[in-house]
Amino acid sequence: MRNILLIARREYKEQIKGRAFRLSTIGLPVLFAAVLGIAYLSSRGLGANKHVVIVSADRGLAEAVRQQLLSDKGKRAAVDVAVPSGEETRAQLISRVAGKAIDGYLWIDADGGALPKASYTGLAAGDFMTTTRLKEALDDGIVAEHLTATGMDQSNVDSVVKGIDIDTYQVKRTGAKISVVKVNAQASFWKGYVMAFLLSMTTMIYGMNVARSIIQEKTSRIFEVMLATAKPSDMLAGKLIGVGAVGLTQIAIWLVAGVAIIGSPMAAAMLSGQYSIHFSWAEGVLFPVYFLLGYLLYSSLFAGLAATCETEQELQMYMPLAAAPTWLSFAMIWPIINDSNSVWSVSASLFPPTAPIVMFLRMASEVPPVWQFFASIGLLVVSIWGTLEISSRLYRVGILMYGKRATLPELLRWLRYS
Amino acid sequence: MAVVELEGVTKAYEDKIAVNHLSLKIEAGQMFGLLGPNGAGKTSSIRMMMGITLPDSGRIELFEKPFERESLDRVGYLPEERGLYKKMKVLEQLVFFAQLHGVEAGEANKRAVNWARRLEIADVLDKKTEELSKGMQQKIQFIGTILHDPKLIVMDEPFSGLDPVNAVLLERTLVELKDQGRAVLFSTHRMDQVEKLCDSICLINRGEAVLSGRVREIKKRYERNHVIVEFEGDAGFLKSEEIAEARNFSGHAEIRLKPHGDAQKLLHEASSMATIYRFELVEPSLEEIFIQTVGGKADA
Repeated sequence: MRNILLIARREYKEQIKGRAFRLSTIGLPVLFAAVLGIAYLSSRGLGANKHVVIVSADRGLAEAVRQQLLSDKGKRAAVDVAVPSGEETRAQLISRVAGKAIDGYLWIDADGGALPKASYTGLAAGDFMTTTRLKEALDDGIVAEHLTATGMDQSNVDSVVKGIDIDTYQVKRTGAKISVVKVNAQASFWKGYVMAFLLSMTTMIYGMNVARSIIQEKTSRIFEVMLATAKPSDMLAGKLIGVGAVGLTQIAIWLVAGVAIIGSPMAAAMLSGQYSIHFSWAEGVLFPVYFLLGYLLYSSLFAGLAATCETEQELQMYMPLAAAPTWLSFAMIWPIINDSNSVWSVSASLFPPTAPIVMFLRMASEVPPVWQFFASIGLLVVSIWGTLEISSRLYRVGILMYGKRATLPELLRWLRYS
Repeated sequence: MAVVELEGVTKAYEDKIAVNHLSLKIEAGQMFGLLGPNGAGKTSSIRMMMGITLPDSGRIELFEKPFERESLDRVGYLPEERGLYKKMKVLEQLVFFAQLHGVEAGEANKRAVNWARRLEIADVLDKKTEELSKGMQQKIQFIGTILHDPKLIVMDEPFSGLDPVNAVLLERTLVELKDQGRAVLFSTHRMDQVEKLCDSICLINRGEAVLSGRVREIKKRYERNHVIVEFEGDAGFLKSEEIAEARNFSGHAEIRLKPHGDAQKLLHEASSMATIYRFELVEPSLEEIFIQTVGGKADA
């Protein structure tokens, strides 16, 4: 135990003094905020400032659609209305689109009482924001035209077409107590997303740090000196504890800074109303727990792999192994947020490689049952134990092998040696 | 007291036998040389003594007890593949190594400073290892090997990479440690150092001990059929029928006589052709014994 602690302390001190720690502690949240900010700013103007022509033999319907498009103050648009005079009109409009005089035209074939058929022709094939807006405007325009035809006055028609906002409430159960609280789905989603993102980044960064540190020690030939004083298992345990403690320190810094920032008057004003975010104590406890478990799973896997490599370039080959569960977790984000209790969501939150990230994505929508937390943590612990068993065998032999990359049959032999 | 004892130790890797039934014994206060050509099995034998690898068969004892990791706290090891933590400061590094052997931090600090002064590197204790020359790093590593006051010091090729001044400094330190009652084992290719420093040797070839025992006794086993001649004039006497092999270095000749070659007759022939300043009948050097024993059989 003495040696494990000494090795862990050395590893901790070396990493915490490094420039990489300072940069990632400050840089990672700043970078993430910048990415979110840019994504938000660039999406704000999407679908705005378009110039479209509504073409319909039913001029009333075309005007109704135009009114719907112009009523969206957030997305200014130039909308013309035209009545078709045969295929000549279509040819003219196509040439205007090609000459970029207009972004596109919506052609509505209205045929008396039957539902009209519509098609949009434009330059950009993937402009689904515009087609979505046009569809909504056409739907509302048809409803408005029909209501007007029944004799409803314009103000009533407008209020019907405008739609109704829905407030969201969540039923929460704390022991025997049941409470209903108003929530903001968007804010909850972003909170879960940010926590899952930070969790995946820290898990991967520190898992890779363990691997990199093993490669560096292998390159500097320090292992043989160390092996004459400490057991390979002590060396591996010390390394995992030391690097893990660095990760926890970073998370603690972020938590303290986060609490200080959220508690400031400026943030309080910004994060009120629809942007209000609440952190529960469970989230505060589970974040470091899942970090630690995710980190131990990845770092023990990478420790074994790193011992078989000669250079960091060789290690890079295994990067997709680390990234794949993260890709999978984030690829499932919509099914998880929309139905956090589906078979897929529950399975992914129990499957050890994806469990840490998916659990936080699920929590953004609804806190899963307690047994699922215990099950996912239990499965993580078992898989960490299994991975450590295999990795420490590879590590014991691999750290003394220099000169060439181990082949698969050699790795299998190493597993049998120890 | 036997500090290390190997009895019939064998180790094989894949289809190659690295060490084959090796037996040796090192006493306290003894300087022991482990010799052999490249790939003979020296490093494999040392790694087994240090518990880094396990023997397939045979017995290894440290301090008269079957090998156990706790015994390593009394052993200092300098491997052939040297390594230090590059980003760590020298003093921190030395204290760290001593602590791993159970020395308390304050005491380790004191000893590190003392040794650094003795080996003339006290001024770099506060520097990072990566800032130092290879020779300096080797000295630091040596200090790291002995800082916990080991009773057995095991060094794999300790003189490789050292300049002559530092090699002499290391030799003196090793003799001093031996005189204090510690056992010192080192492997080397430098026969002059073995001859100068070692009490006993074990010569390994292809994993097997081909020659072992006290240096004095080994040399006695070989005939005094070597002659050193320093001369000026005609070197024609080097073609004498008494000579099996001669090497001439511009007036300094090293001669091996035939099994029943007559040294007196050779002296007579030499003095008739050249002016002789030195004519000495010597026992064979360890280098010659090494070449004679291993020559033509080595792997590398």
